[in-house]
Amino acid sequence: MGNVPEEQKLYARWLGRGARAGLWLLSACFVVYVFELFEPHVPLHALPSVWSQPVADYRALTGAPAGWGWLALLGKGDYLNLLGIAVLGLVTAVCYARIVPALLERGERLQAAMAIAQVLVLLAAASGLLVVGH
Amino acid sequence: MPQSLGRNTITGMRLVLLAAAIVWASPAAAAGQSPVAWWVWPLALFAVTFALGVVAVLAGVGGGVLFVPIVGAFFPFHLDFVRGAGLLLALSGALAAAPALLANGLASLRLAMPAALVGSVTSIVGALIGLALPADILYTALGATILAIALVMWRSRRSDHPEVPANDPLGAALRLHGVYHDQATGRDVEWKVWRTPAALAAFAGVGVLAGMFGLGAGWANVPVFNLLMGAPLKLSVGSSGLLLSVVDSSAAWIYLHRGAVLPMLVAPSVIGIMLGARIGVRLLRIAPAAAVRGTVLALLAFAGGRALLKGLGVWA
Repeated sequence: MGNVPEEQKLYARWLGRGARAGLWLLSACFVVYVFELFEPHVPLHALPSVWSQPVADYRALTGAPAGWGWLALLGKGDYLNLLGIAVLGLVTAVCYARIVPALLERGERLQAAMAIAQVLVLLAAASGLLVVGH
Repeated sequence: MPQSLGRNTITGMRLVLLAAAIVWASPAAAAGQSPVAWWVWPLALFAVTFALGVVAVLAGVGGGVLFVPIVGAFFPFHLDFVRGAGLLLALSGALAAAPALLANGLASLRLAMPAALVGSVTSIVGALIGLALPADILYTALGATILAIALVMWRSRRSDHPEVPANDPLGAALRLHGVYHDQATGRDVEWKVWRTPAALAAFAGVGVLAGMFGLGAGWANVPVFNLLMGAPLKLSVGSSGLLLSVVDSSAAWIYLHRGAVLPMLVAPSVIGIMLGARIGVRLLRIAPAAAVRGTVLALLAFAGGRALLKGLGVWA
């Protein structure tokens, strides 16, 4: 373990915290959803009639939003679950951003540039702007 | 006693998968109208992913590569939602394992970074392509891919400490070398890699497949790190998990923004496979690994064949 670079230890610590938070949040929100503590946008009993449809048809039938539109539905039990999923999807970008200063301090400019590029790619995916088809 | 426990475990897993197949094969389910209450499906999903979590650990594969073909073949959910859930399942497993692997030096951030950058870009492209293709073409391509994966897993050989004469120029520029501590032997192992450009091209292709089909990609990442680049096997396995966490994060956002992430599929699957993996780790010492691996390969071949025939309209 003495051979583990400092930036890797830093990345591991932040990744551990973020992953735990995301997984607990996902589990807790699912309990809220499945026991209908918050009313879901798509009623639970109606799900089997729509989940066999392609996603475009599912959205048309249920009025489900695309992009970041789900944020407006966080009061609904089903969309509340996307909070935990979003945390899981963002934690890697946060970890990469966190190690950039450490890499620059060590003079690892190429690694720092790659980390910044990785953050940009992840943010581009998360932006909701990359959409084609349907 | 331990051997009979292992055999019973495998038999139990086969029964769970058989039960799922029977539910799936009912006429109403085939017509897209479930004959059962909604809550039966997440429970069945939990049971199946729990079994997959156990088998995945015992067979040394990621759960994601099993989830999509099996759930896509035996459950009534559309493949769009199954692929979205598959990505999140693989992502969750990788995120849960990566911190310990990184902290113990069994994964190398430095080794994974270039591959992750290339793979995450191509996984986004794969996700966009996958979500734009009609279901029959997707099923055909998925079936062919899964059969190819089963073949790769069956034929692939691994090397604990491959001989690498020197870093290639790109690998040297990226400083893809280091030392890791092998706890099994108690020795520090120096490593370096070569053939970096070819490996990055391979990771680009794997990223497309991961995004398009929602598959975890350990089945491909480990051979590329280990056999193509010459990284030690343990470091390859650990770094593959880290790589997967980055690549699947990118593709998962595309599915999320398209609306192809259904919490009713994702949450029971993630919880099921993670609990199953914990049991799998405990059974690791007593289960007959060869039998489990054979069962997994047979499952993959069957599910891949089913997807291929479904896509071709032979077995609708």
